[in-house]
Amino acid sequence: MKNFREIEQLSAYLDGQLNPTESARLESRIESDPELASVLSDLRFTRGLLRKLPKRKAPRNFALTRKMVGLKPPLPRTYPIFRLATVFATILFVASFSLNALSSMGGAAAPAAAPLGIGGGGGGGCSDCGITTEQYAATEAPSLEMAPAATEAPAESAASDSGPAVTEEATRIMDATATPEAIASPKEAPLPEATAMEPAPDSTDQTQIQNEAPFSIPWTMIFLSVSILGGISMALMRLNARRKWQ
Amino acid sequence: MDENALINSAQKGDLDAFNTLILHYQDTVFNTALRILSDEDAAQDAAQEAFISAFKSITTFRGGSFKAWMLRTVTNACYDELRRQKRRPTTPLEPETSDGEEMDSPKWLADPNMTPAEKAEADEIEHAIQHCLDALPVEFRSVVVLADIQGMDYTEVAAAAHVPLGTIKSRLARARLRLRECLRSFEELLPASFRLERESA
Repeated sequence: MKNFREIEQLSAYLDGQLNPTESARLESRIESDPELASVLSDLRFTRGLLRKLPKRKAPRNFALTRKMVGLKPPLPRTYPIFRLATVFATILFVASFSLNALSSMGGAAAPAAAPLGIGGGGGGGCSDCGITTEQYAATEAPSLEMAPAATEAPAESAASDSGPAVTEEATRIMDATATPEAIASPKEAPLPEATAMEPAPDSTDQTQIQNEAPFSIPWTMIFLSVSILGGISMALMRLNARRKWQ
Repeated sequence: MDENALINSAQKGDLDAFNTLILHYQDTVFNTALRILSDEDAAQDAAQEAFISAFKSITTFRGGSFKAWMLRTVTNACYDELRRQKRRPTTPLEPETSDGEEMDSPKWLADPNMTPAEKAEADEIEHAIQHCLDALPVEFRSVVVLADIQGMDYTEVAAAAHVPLGTIKSRLARARLRLRECLRSFEELLPASFRLERESA
């Protein structure tokens, strides 16, 4: 038996893989060495058998379908814009809804404490929770303006030389007329510092609580509508593209 | 068939162009899988997997022999199938003789143009060779299938098997040597034409 290096050379020679020099050298050795010639003959015979193996036809067609390779129908060029808008609107809707919900939860706790500070009375019931800033202003303003009216009245009554009864009457009239003004612009009223400055922080707190809701309900609804409409449009585009593709 | 144009179209996602290439290569791919796996159903599965994988990765084809690239894909699919078989060995459902040996499958050589004698002869040769091929380690088997059965040159086989040229030379020589030893035990089964050919050589 020849060594493997020689067999490897014979195999390569059989396939014409040796360069001319190597081939010539091997050929001269094959002529002088019958064993080498026999091995070459065996290798050629084996290769011949393999080459004569019948070629089988494919038993079926291997052509691929779009489903097999996971191909998706080409979508319109506007599809990414719709997708971006829908995603953006959905994010905004979720964010606005969550923030509004959080701020309303915070706002529900604040009014419960607020009447205690302003009116000094009870009002801790939850019926007050839903009262808006305007309602608070309307109910609390008269009591707040009562003091300045009372202090101003003597100055006016002194000028007109009227009695205390007239002063009280004038106070009532002024209260009735000055209250809306006091609500609209509290600074216009010549309030003494001790009485006029105290209620101001309370009323601004209330408006801040309401202003903390970053999105009004119409905006939230707009975001929701855009996200729903975008989703529907995308589904229709995909359906249409698939129908055309098939 | 303008193969390069079809490959370019397939690289752009044209499935019809790729299917034209499949029609051209499916016999070669199936035969390669059949000789490596020695099982028709497994060979069909491997061929189909190879075509799917080839389409998905056709953008990685950078020119050269498409046949070699395709055969590399099917060889890899066959290796996967053999690994799977190793993990989950199955019992063949071929009918057996009373001695417990598998009966020859008549569908193996369903060529209507052959005479019964030719069929018997071809059947004997094919079974003997396939038996000897199955006895080879899979890396030797794939090399001998690609070089001697598919008729690829060493460079193409090296590209398909993803091994250096020197390794191909060595594996092919070893595989032929083992096949020669194995086929000697079937010499009396081989047809006279082959025996005479050997003697004359």
